[in-house]
Amino acid sequence: MNHITDILDNTPFNGLTESDLRAIRTHTGSCVECAHAFAAAELASVLLAERISEAADNTANANPFFQTRVLAAWREQQAGGAWSFRRLWNATGALVASMAATTAALAVLMFVAPVTNPTDQQTAALVPYSAESVVLGQDRDDNQMTNDQIISAIYDDDDEGK
Amino acid sequence: MEGWLTRIATNTCLNMLRSARRRPEVVNADLSDDETEFLETVSSQMGRETLDAEQKVVAVDLAEKLLETLSPDDRLALTMIDGEGASVNEVAEVTGWSESKVKVRAFRARKKAREALEKLLG
Repeated sequence: MNHITDILDNTPFNGLTESDLRAIRTHTGSCVECAHAFAAAELASVLLAERISEAADNTANANPFFQTRVLAAWREQQAGGAWSFRRLWNATGALVASMAATTAALAVLMFVAPVTNPTDQQTAALVPYSAESVVLGQDRDDNQMTNDQIISAIYDDDDEGK
Repeated sequence: MEGWLTRIATNTCLNMLRSARRRPEVVNADLSDDETEFLETVSSQMGRETLDAEQKVVAVDLAEKLLETLSPDDRLALTMIDGEGASVNEVAEVTGWSESKVKVRAFRARKKAREALEKLLG
């Protein structure tokens, strides 16, 4: 006797043909085991269909709100971005403004304000020594030779050479 | 593009299910009173009436328990072919499996689900 479990396991329950169902009914009339298997297969089909149906309902119910939720999340993100920029400016605005003012002042001083050279008198006032004091006021050192001594030493050498 | 995205989504879901590794066998002790009553009443009136709202809720819970006992691959094949009415070719296209593998998965899943329900029905 051929049991019908192979037919049940090979084909989806809803895909059973009329000839399959006829063979099954004929067989289950005399085989309790297969009747039990057929009832279980039918129940599995019903359970699966209910689960798929519920999943489809959930999907259909979720769709109308999906776009609204995405837009709301996008707006929230946008608002959050503006707020964070304002907070950043509040925290660092004073520092940035002072740096900008300093840079502007330096630029004005460098390019706009007239360049003034110190005069000779101002330079003389600043320098604590003069050309005369350097040439004439140098300390006489005993070890240093005078101009006369140098001249005489030069000419003496020339005389000796002759 | 659509097929590529579908396949990526399918494989991602399969990997998540595989990582769960929860495939206990459903036994009568795991069933709630509602589910036990459902099995007793519905199996006797099978094919004669449609389910009421309460029975539908119990049926969905029972279906979840039943599917959890299957491997992710078997569950996918059974859900798509027997539940959603997809063809073997469509499942093969979505999953990247061969058609013979899809058939084997679906056969195994049907058999396991049927045997589990046979035990529950007593």
